Amino acid sequence: MAEVEVRNCPGTSGKVPALKRTVVITIVETRLLILNADPVFQDKALAIFDMMDKVETRIVRTLSEAVLALLGENFDAFVVEGESTLALEQATNARQHFPSLKIICLVPDLSEEKTGRVPDQQNITLISSEQSTHGLDRELKTFVHSLEKPTGTPAEGIDPCHSLIGNLNQFTAAEILQMSCLSQRSGRFTFKSSRGNSEIYLQHGAVRHAAFGSLEGESAVAEIFRWRQGRFYFEEGIISQVQTVDRPWAHLLIDNLQKLDETLELVGV
Amino acid sequence: MKDKELETKLRLLTLQLDNWKRLHDLITYGLDKAKPIISSEQERLFTEIRANLLQETEHVFKKLNVLGELSGKAMNVLQRASSVRGVRELSGDEIRRMETEWNMVFTKLGVVQGQLKGLRKDLAGRTFLGYQLNLLLGRLTPAH
Repeated sequence: MAEVEVRNCPGTSGKVPALKRTVVITIVETRLLILNADPVFQDKALAIFDMMDKVETRIVRTLSEAVLALLGENFDAFVVEGESTLALEQATNARQHFPSLKIICLVPDLSEEKTGRVPDQQNITLISSEQSTHGLDRELKTFVHSLEKPTGTPAEGIDPCHSLIGNLNQFTAAEILQMSCLSQRSGRFTFKSSRGNSEIYLQHGAVRHAAFGSLEGESAVAEIFRWRQGRFYFEEGIISQVQTVDRPWAHLLIDNLQKLDETLELVGV
Repeated sequence: MKDKELETKLRLLTLQLDNWKRLHDLITYGLDKAKPIISSEQERLFTEIRANLLQETEHVFKKLNVLGELSGKAMNVLQRASSVRGVRELSGDEIRRMETEWNMVFTKLGVVQGQLKGLRKDLAGRTFLGYQLNLLLGRLTPAH
């Protein structure tokens, strides 16, 4: 949901009428994907999410449904609820396919015997589902607040230095990178979606550097490959000083398409 | 403001409707003679959806106050539709009856969902204090 807020610019007070106004578009809804095999009877956390303002939830019962949803839509976080071992296994599985996704596991048993070192290694947040409703409510609210994004990001206009501009609905990242690499381009691709911004730097038709949030190199390329929504533009001649990718484009393409196939296999597509 | 009971009902209803839709998709597939192959994956999915409906229907209908009206019809559908292959082998009469009963369940649930969403919309513009005052003064039907 988008809210439009209109506010006066500073410096327009006094006798001069306030004609100059700024329109700030704020995305206020946090979208959560919740994997819960028994959402009708095991609904303690779901009831808490229901009562949160500006939180939209989508509930799925199986991992394959979750992967299908994650491929098709953007979610701010993935919540896995269930028995400790199974929930962690499902969260770890999701992590392999969605490296930048925020994942929390709601499990009854937080002991190291049950969870091991997996949560740390896979960057999965663990929350006990057996605590009091009040405690769980507090922890979940803290988690949801941590997901709130900086607002008011201005939309980019058409800049003459963008030699290629497009939409990921029409061309996938793989297609446009393939085209640019084949024509031996050097420059920077910027991809903008509701998941965030990412950049891929090319040099003479090879990927030199890629960055998305805290991810760099091949893992960032892998993430961008999955995007199906968003915009991109290319700026000719911008070269990265940093090199985080050193494999030929063809290898990256094959590996990432294979990974994508593996992800699609999970949903039985 | 949000009403806890109302939000719970809407969540349960959404899950229930989702299962009824998916069951219908598979029944429709089973009845389509132009599609001769029924995979084991489709049968597995059908059994899973049916199992979810069997264990959850009564609880959800009770919460929504439609147990008396819909329970029998829902059970008839679930008993007739034992598998995708089973649906294919039903007689014309049984298929018609099953489709009519599925439609009755689906229509009623859709109507209730609309009513609850309307109530949620009304509540969204109210404060907790205003809501309680209106309840006291009898101007608003409670959500539960």
